[in-house]
Amino acid sequence: MAVNSKVIKRRIKSVSSTKKITKAMEMVAASKMRRAVDTALRTRTYAKLAWDILVDLSKTPEVKLPLLEVRPVKNVLVILVTSNRGLCGSFNSNIIKKTSLSLKNPDNLGVQDIEGKILKTDNVKIDVVGVGRKGADFAKRNGYNLTASFTTFSDTPNLNDILPISQMVLKQYEERVYDKVVVAYTDFKSAIAQTAKLKQVLPISKIDLENMLTELGEEDLKKEKPVVDEKLSDYLFEPNPQSVLETVLPRLVETQLLQAALESSASEHSARMMAMRNASDAAVDMIAELNLNFNKARQAAITQEIAEIAGGAAALE
Amino acid sequence: MNKINLKIVTPEKVIYQNDQIDQVSIPTSTGEITVLPNHIPLVSILQSGEMVFKENGQDNYFALSGGFLEIKNNSEVVILADNVERAHEINVERAEAAKAKAEEQMKEIKNREDVDFARLQAVIDREANRLRVGNKYRHLRKSE
Repeated sequence: MAVNSKVIKRRIKSVSSTKKITKAMEMVAASKMRRAVDTALRTRTYAKLAWDILVDLSKTPEVKLPLLEVRPVKNVLVILVTSNRGLCGSFNSNIIKKTSLSLKNPDNLGVQDIEGKILKTDNVKIDVVGVGRKGADFAKRNGYNLTASFTTFSDTPNLNDILPISQMVLKQYEERVYDKVVVAYTDFKSAIAQTAKLKQVLPISKIDLENMLTELGEEDLKKEKPVVDEKLSDYLFEPNPQSVLETVLPRLVETQLLQAALESSASEHSARMMAMRNASDAAVDMIAELNLNFNKARQAAITQEIAEIAGGAAALE
Repeated sequence: MNKINLKIVTPEKVIYQNDQIDQVSIPTSTGEITVLPNHIPLVSILQSGEMVFKENGQDNYFALSGGFLEIKNNSEVVILADNVERAHEINVERAEAAKAKAEEQMKEIKNREDVDFARLQAVIDREANRLRVGNKYRHLRKSE
C-alpha cells in the first residue's frame, strides 16, 4: 500500500507542474491575443477608407490595369496562413483540412466569374505559398508544389512582414504566372469562435471586397453611409485616374493580406488560450481525482495497520 | 463650421483624427498642395515629405511617406499613408542608423533583384525624409 501511495504522490506532482506550465501559456496567449485583436481592429479603418477611394474611382470611366484583368484560370496560387508553433488546439488542423479539401479538387478553384458568365476550366494547377511553419510542412509532406514559405512572422504581423509576399504575388499576377490568387486563413470571430476561410485576393473583384468589408464591421459601415451622390465630374484625380489606381490597388492587396495575417494571428492566440485553459481545467480535475485516490490509499494503509495490530494483540491474549 | 475633418490612417492604426483643422499642406506626387475647407473632391498620390496642418492657429508637423489621399465633398480629408510620424516624435538617431544600414545593404545587393532594390530605395527615401523633418523640428521636441 505504501508503494501505491508513493506512485500517486508522484503523479500528483507531475500533473500539477504541467498545470503550472499550461496556466502560464494560457496567460501569455491571452495577452498576445488582446494585442493581436487590437491590431486587427485598427487595420479595418484603413481597409474601409481604401475601399471608399476605390468606390469613387469606379465612378470614372473604365481603366485597364493588369491587376483588374480577369482571365481563364490555369494556375492558382494558394497562400496558406498558419501558425509557426503548435499547442493551439485544432487551429492548424482546421485550416489545413479546409485547404486540402480544395487542393484535392483543383477544378473548383478554377471557376472564374467573367462579367457575369461563369467560366470553368479543367486541369488547374495549384501552387502553395506557406505562411507559418505548420502550413509549409503540410504542403511539403503531402507533395504539393510549395513555391515559397514565410516562417519568420512576429506575433502581431505588420506591413513589413507582408510586403515580400504581396510584392511577389502582385508581380506574378502581372506576369501571368498565376490567374488567380487565394488566401486561406482563419477568420477571427470571437475568442471562442474562429472559422477557416478561403478568400480570393486577385483578380480584385468587387463582390469579394464588399464581403470582406461587411465582415470587418457592419456597424461601422452602416453608421457612415449617408450616401452623398457626388457627380463624377466633381472628382479630381491627380495626376490621373490610371496612376491613382496603380497605387491604390496594390495597397488593397497588401491590406487584404495583412488583414488575413492579423486575423489568423488573433485566432491562433485565442485558440491557444482556449486549448491551454482546457488543459489546465483537465489538470485540476485530474489532481482532484488523484488526491482522492491518494487519501483512499493512505486510509486503507492505516486501517490495515490497525487491523494488523489488533490482530497481533488478539493473538497474544 | 468651416473646418476640415482630417483623418490620418496607416495600415496599422489611426494616427490622428480631428475635425477642427483650418488648413493642411500635403506633399503629393504633383507637388505640395494646401487644402482649405470646402476644397473640391480630389484623389491624389502622396510623396515622402512633410505635412503641416493648422489647428487653432498652431502648426502641427508630420513626416509622411507613401500612400494616397482623398478629399471628400464635405471638407473631409483622408490621408492613407504607409508611414506617418509626428515631427517631434521622430527619433533622429535611429532614423540615421536605419538609413545608414539601408544604404549599406544597397551597396551589397546592387547587382541583385530589382524588387529588393526598390524596397531599399523606398526605405532610404523614408528615413531621409524622417531625418530631414526630424532635424528641422528638433526644437519642438526639446521644448516639451
